[in-house]
Amino acid sequence: MEVVQIAAFGIVSVVLLVLLRQQRPELAIQLALVAGVGIFAMVVPKLFLILEVLSDLADQAGIAPAYANSVLKIVGIAYIADFGGQICRDAGENAIASRVELAGKVIILLLALPIIRGILDLINSLLR
Amino acid sequence: MNIELVFQIASLAIIVSVFHTLLKQAGKEEFAWLLTLVSIALVLSMAIRVISDFFDAVRSMFHLY
Repeated sequence: MEVVQIAAFGIVSVVLLVLLRQQRPELAIQLALVAGVGIFAMVVPKLFLILEVLSDLADQAGIAPAYANSVLKIVGIAYIADFGGQICRDAGENAIASRVELAGKVIILLLALPIIRGILDLINSLLR
Repeated sequence: MNIELVFQIASLAIIVSVFHTLLKQAGKEEFAWLLTLVSIALVLSMAIRVISDFFDAVRSMFHLY
């Protein structure tokens, strides 16, 4: 079963990480990074299928491809910003982690502006 | 496939930390730090390759261009 592999992968890498945390903290961070990406790589094909189905449903529901696309982008940006922030927080650098997440939020807000404007224009046209 | 990379980095780190303490005991402090620096650079090159693959995967999946 896939989930058993992923759990075993996580446990093994955590054991190695605890071992490394005392002697070489700088190598432990890189090991945490590689282990995190390794687990994500196992989920990538499944995630790809889910995203395909979601975009098909969005097309059928008549949602404008521009909006569906930017929603997808926002999810991607949120995931990467969270990933970077968590790695920094693991290393003990909370300040840098919050900076990375702040940057992610700003970029997401920037992407969300056209959607918000579109909705507001729609409401205005309905009210008038 | 990625588990080998984790094992590689972990074994390299353990060997380097053993040599680090060994050299420190032998009084060669600067060699110990040099060895640690080289190991960090080596592991970083591996980690950077993995990170770039990860970012490419996420970028292609979420159409983040």
